[in-house]
Amino acid sequence: MLLYRLTFRVNEGLIIRTKDVREEGIISPATSTPRPIGGRGLFVSYIGVRAMGTSRVVFDKLQGRYARRMDEMRSSAVRDLFAAASRPDVISLSGGMPEVSRVPAHTAADAAYKAVAHQGARALQYGGSEGSIELRSIIIELMAETGVRLKTDDIVVTAGAQQALDLLGKIFLDPGDVVIAEGPTYLGALQAFSAYEPEIRCVPMDDCGMRMDLLEAELRALGPRGAKFIYTIPNFQNPGGVTLAADRRRRLLELSREYDIPIIEDDPYGRLRFEGGHIKPLRALDPEVIYLGTFSKIFAPGLRLGWVVAPHPVLAKLLIAKQAADLCGSAFAQTTAEVYFRGTRWRKVVQALTRVYAERRDAMLAALSEHFPKEARWTCPEGGFFVWVELPAFLDTGVMLAEAVERGVTFVPGDSFFPDGRGRNCMRLAFCYAEPERIEEGIRRLAEVLEDRLELYRAFMAAGALPAEEGAA
Amino acid sequence: MNKEKIAVLMGGRSLEREVSLKSGERVCQALEDLGYKVLPLDLSPTLVQTLRSERPDACYIALHGRYGEDGAIQELLEFLGVPYTGPGVVSSVLAWDKPLAKRLFAEHGIPTPAWVNLTADAFKQMGAASALDLVVESTGPFPLAVKPAKQGSALGLTRVDSADRLAEALLTALSYDDAAMIEKWVEGRMVAVSVFDGPEGPQPLPPVEISPKSGVFDFASMYTAGETDYFVPARLDEAVMSEVKKCAIAVHTLLECRDVSRVDMIVDSAGGLHVLECNTSPGMTETSLLPMAAQAVGLSLADVVEKLVSSALARSAGKNQ
Repeated sequence: MLLYRLTFRVNEGLIIRTKDVREEGIISPATSTPRPIGGRGLFVSYIGVRAMGTSRVVFDKLQGRYARRMDEMRSSAVRDLFAAASRPDVISLSGGMPEVSRVPAHTAADAAYKAVAHQGARALQYGGSEGSIELRSIIIELMAETGVRLKTDDIVVTAGAQQALDLLGKIFLDPGDVVIAEGPTYLGALQAFSAYEPEIRCVPMDDCGMRMDLLEAELRALGPRGAKFIYTIPNFQNPGGVTLAADRRRRLLELSREYDIPIIEDDPYGRLRFEGGHIKPLRALDPEVIYLGTFSKIFAPGLRLGWVVAPHPVLAKLLIAKQAADLCGSAFAQTTAEVYFRGTRWRKVVQALTRVYAERRDAMLAALSEHFPKEARWTCPEGGFFVWVELPAFLDTGVMLAEAVERGVTFVPGDSFFPDGRGRNCMRLAFCYAEPERIEEGIRRLAEVLEDRLELYRAFMAAGALPAEEGAA
Repeated sequence: MNKEKIAVLMGGRSLEREVSLKSGERVCQALEDLGYKVLPLDLSPTLVQTLRSERPDACYIALHGRYGEDGAIQELLEFLGVPYTGPGVVSSVLAWDKPLAKRLFAEHGIPTPAWVNLTADAFKQMGAASALDLVVESTGPFPLAVKPAKQGSALGLTRVDSADRLAEALLTALSYDDAAMIEKWVEGRMVAVSVFDGPEGPQPLPPVEISPKSGVFDFASMYTAGETDYFVPARLDEAVMSEVKKCAIAVHTLLECRDVSRVDMIVDSAGGLHVLECNTSPGMTETSLLPMAAQAVGLSLADVVEKLVSSALARSAGKNQ
């Protein structure tokens, strides 16, 4: 019998190919009537398979031919819940978005204008893969202020620090390699690394950052060179909110040397400190450390500008990977940033932003104290964007999200920040984006959801339908 | 062309907001292609004001889930005197409340898997959790399906294989609604039958067979291309096919649906039918079942949309006479 294979573009209703293939089954004439229907470039094919008139509908004609690493990437209900949260009445405590409205628009516009008007030949042309000399000299000055002394060739400019994470994954990781990170850790790092199929081991934190005793135990079990690198966010960790104490930084470097495992230090929030003294970055204490910085929090994430500082052999490999990825970063963005950092009072802007974030952090911490149930515990960040909340072990925050969205507030469920399903009783709350009154209201709504969930869980536990509350935090 | 003005209602507060926006966008495009004046409207506190000032000739309801499928918008539009597409208030309310619809199915001899429905209040205030051991006496043995009593897109659905996972699944379902339904899990082919209803009475479209690779037609299987195989018409023999269609019409008629509905059921290996639910606002996205079934009989999305809008406009004409 015949199999008719019809492939047509839905929004054009166009038959691209009609092909007879020997197979059992036939499509009824009606099935093969092509008609234009709405839609956007989705390819649909109807493939006839056995039984009278039956055809298999295939929405993706390349299905089954994608790389294995794509297997884990599916649309999720959580993503859809966030879409529901795009309503204006929903208070978002989920996104880690900088308050770019505080960057004066005219200054940014002026920088972009001057980039093209005065330096168009450079801004509109390809640039070097390592990034412009001018921008790297600005980075040298920024880093010097934090205690890191650099030369231009110690730095490669990347498309946000996120690209650096991907490139580092690409140059270091083979499938099955071990990576050590804080648990919880940055979701974007998990995504970037996971494409290279490593095994990510998470080391718990306390109020002083990653627990060095637990890291040591992990390293001892793995042995020297037992992991490809240790990934850490020492300042105002995302999502944990905690900062790695100075003595632990020294211990971390000792362990790194002892076990011969390099450190990747990701520092997007370092300049957003609300209180307490500056703690030197790991890179300031050890030139072997790979350091990632970004302009996203001190200027604007829309520029997609970040940088890597690393030993020269690492940078050489990274440049090869970067050239394959995008030849070079955006010269326009780099030139714009140069003009902005050379020609404006950008420090005032960062100071103002820091005050805004501090005020919002205060609003969130006050609201948590006032509204959250006594069983909840949370971190008190000295900077950055996030508070990490831990709830009784029996609660599952992923399951609470639907109810929270219904009540008009969002957060990110804790298990998103672990590679292994841990953190289900935790949540990340972002204070960076909502106004203080909205934060207060958001926390109040969330507390209502929590009370409701606690009541329900307790009813189940009282009836013996769930194990008793021993796991409470 | 100087056709009527149609307001397309989409989005809203529902958890299926994103799906609805996709449906709505496609419906708008189809209506524009057909020459109608199109007014896309997100559900917001200014909705009524907009409807009163814009005075559309009819509303196309591309809403899914709560507020759009539960009778709320239908009741509001009737109050405002704006004709709308799809089933009316009573049908919407009945179909949206799955346990209520199942009660009607059972009373009218429409086969539906055995179930138990428990509200959050029954757990919180009446100690219902201490009777979970009795569930299997009503539903039969595991596996069971646990889902919110009222919710779309299979959000909050869990397949439960053993008693120790039941509480967790109930707690999940209860995040999506204030009642959770525990239902016998019937193995078999999942089939969705879209029903068109016009002057010539309800007509079934070719049943679509749904074969999710994960075994559970959950949200991810529903909206991720390649996660689910669909067969149109379903791979059923002629006698069963005819029963399936008859059953869908019976459900549509029982719930007094009009214009369109989609009846979801399982066909077991013996050819037995088990009706799960009836949807009164079927999805119109690229991977949705109604457009797929319509396509199989040569009806484009525009044809479907035109049909539904014409019915709504005819109702308004009828009322004015």
